[in-house]
Amino acid sequence: MSTATATRRAPSSSLTSFVVASRYLPVYIAIVLLIVVAAIWAPAALRAPSLRAIAPFGTFLAIAALGQMLVIMTGGIDLSVPGSITLGAVLVVGVGDASDDRVWAAIGVALLAVALVGLVNGILIGGLGLNALIVTLAVGQIVNGIALRYYTSVAIQTPVPTGLSEWASSRFLGVTRTFWVGVVLTLVLIVIFRFTTPGRRFQVVGANPVASHIAGLRVNLNQVAAYVVAALCYGVAAILLAAFLKTPSISLGVPYLLGPIAAVVIGGASLTGGLASPLSTWAGAFFLAGLNQMMRVMGLSTALQFVVFGLVIVGGMLVSGDRIIRGVEQVLRERRGDGETSVVGATDGGSG
Amino acid sequence: MHRIRIIGVVAVLALVFAACGGDDGGGTAEPTGDAEASAAGTELSEYGESVDADPALVEKALGPVEDVPDIVLAAIARADQDLDQATIDTAMECWNSVECDTGSGGELIMGVADGGRGNVWRQVTHMEAILQALTYPEIGTIISRDAQWDEDPAVAEADIRFLIQAGADFIIGYPDQGTNIAAAILEAEAAGIPYIPYSAGYVGLPGDEGALIPGEDYTAIVGEDLCALGESFADIVNAEAAPGPVGIMGGTPGNALSAGWQRCFQPALDDSHPRVGPAADTYWVNDFALQTVLGWLSTDPDITAYAYEYADGMYTALDAYEQLDVPVEDITIVVRTDEQTLFCDWVDRNEPSYRIFFSAGGNFQSRVAVTAAMLTLQDYEVPAEIIVPHVMREVTDSNCDPNRVTETVSGTSMVPDEVLATMYPEG
Repeated sequence: MSTATATRRAPSSSLTSFVVASRYLPVYIAIVLLIVVAAIWAPAALRAPSLRAIAPFGTFLAIAALGQMLVIMTGGIDLSVPGSITLGAVLVVGVGDASDDRVWAAIGVALLAVALVGLVNGILIGGLGLNALIVTLAVGQIVNGIALRYYTSVAIQTPVPTGLSEWASSRFLGVTRTFWVGVVLTLVLIVIFRFTTPGRRFQVVGANPVASHIAGLRVNLNQVAAYVVAALCYGVAAILLAAFLKTPSISLGVPYLLGPIAAVVIGGASLTGGLASPLSTWAGAFFLAGLNQMMRVMGLSTALQFVVFGLVIVGGMLVSGDRIIRGVEQVLRERRGDGETSVVGATDGGSG
Repeated sequence: MHRIRIIGVVAVLALVFAACGGDDGGGTAEPTGDAEASAAGTELSEYGESVDADPALVEKALGPVEDVPDIVLAAIARADQDLDQATIDTAMECWNSVECDTGSGGELIMGVADGGRGNVWRQVTHMEAILQALTYPEIGTIISRDAQWDEDPAVAEADIRFLIQAGADFIIGYPDQGTNIAAAILEAEAAGIPYIPYSAGYVGLPGDEGALIPGEDYTAIVGEDLCALGESFADIVNAEAAPGPVGIMGGTPGNALSAGWQRCFQPALDDSHPRVGPAADTYWVNDFALQTVLGWLSTDPDITAYAYEYADGMYTALDAYEQLDVPVEDITIVVRTDEQTLFCDWVDRNEPSYRIFFSAGGNFQSRVAVTAAMLTLQDYEVPAEIIVPHVMREVTDSNCDPNRVTETVSGTSMVPDEVLATMYPEG
């Protein structure tokens, strides 16, 4: 194929942007649908107090999902999230020892410990090339065991330092401060992916690790870094969660096994790596939090809530980013009458 | 054969004890003069048990109740212990370990199969069972398994099967998974290992599909009359709570304790107290209780009453009011357990229109299960349902003891403070 032909057949920049952006559309459509359904069957779920109730738990899920998103962008998956969140939370309690003088020490130790978990995951997966699913599951179990031991011996049903819990309960612009932490984190990731070289490189390596390796990029280091930074996100979620709950329990990490993955998938990320959007992931997390709230308002039983939640995840997979892209490509092919145009894997405008 | 020999040894020990230890027919906390009860007490003494429990201790555990079954009294009598440091050390070793040697040289193995041990209530209940076991020199080994509230019933079943393989002579515990672990329980009973759950942990409520029948399918059950408990809750809500919606919370989905009281609570509510929604499953995890109340309160700030088993979970759930700027006023709470956290928080709030009524923590019911199992091994015919009487009490300032080792422990727990201080050194 000549250069001229390639140029003629390549989609325009705006078209590429449209196609890439289309993968993130489902989550926003889902949110609109959720609002419509809630307005009809559970209008109380849309009132201000209800939204205020969603804000903190949506934020915790969103921050954990942002971490999971980084891992998924490398083509991996992290099942150690519940263990990391539990460990971080019990360390905040244990090291904090209900003393405001120890708040920063508690936060530091919690972040350090979960970063170490991420480093172990990263080395085993990025360094040694082990299977991410198995490794993170196993590491998660080990971390759970450590957290359980620490919890039962030191931190059981002990409150976090008062200063930290008061901060988490206080509000800024009428919304819990934890929400704003999530917003800032999301914005930081958007800026990094859109406007910095390391951010763009991170996406490129995830989208095509083989080509990146040939191009001289350090793919393994990228993976290790992804797990460490992801773990730091879990650590932040753990600290905020502990602060919000005041007396975190050993089970507080349990909802964060599938929730973050669901948020990332619904947010349109490519499970094969590369493309993902922090904003859409954030939206995916709040969609799930809103869905939970609506189901409670509608008075669904626990069993039915599980079913609906599962169906939504399946639905998210059905309209996942990759399928959307393939659908758009198909339409483009039919219009152009050829089968060569492909924008899957394009990174231009891919994030944010 | 081995088991028969052990039972023989236990029986001889019991007879020697009975011969040396007098024949106090014992009574109840509130002496009834009931000749039948006295006869039963005498009968129990032949098995090495005394029903002469300190009335003050009975009231601490149960409140001002009457007609306490003799097995319950026998368990409480044994709980009246002066613990030396060596015993506390052994208890702590057992509490911290999957398997421990009690140091008594006894041949019996006690198995504990708990669905979860992730909160203080469960841990204290475990310790109650251990301390009770240490009063029986025949028990030489304690093996404790914890399914960590795993949603997969296979985990809890595996724990019971592990205990069968380990040679447990009896198994106590709380079957969070209900009928889902029935097969393993039947295997234990088929192997001649008595299974006695506590805290009204029926393996399926009687009459439910797949439910096992205590006294037939498994040895016995220890717990309150759940229907009566639910009706007691409803009586208080009907009489004391302002008209308005009622929030109902339970533990793990399908567990018998929650289902049992809720089944009688809901029909007994009057028309002025509709449910805010279906009973919510909180897994007895404080975070989930908070999320539940946040969800309810955000759409229905006029909830006037809550019914729940777990006082400490309710304590965390009340944070929802602060989160949503709803004042904690005109609320009536009925709970089963009596963790100090909720009660001390109530004292701090000093809000006359906020009232709490409670039954009893029930930690000590694991002690009753141990005693019932030891009696069973001696061929004493324990009742299929060992009903622990309950009475509802309103929380007052006296229910908050600021000197308690840790606020999260139930006031009705019979674990001595020196043990609690070792269990929870951070307070």
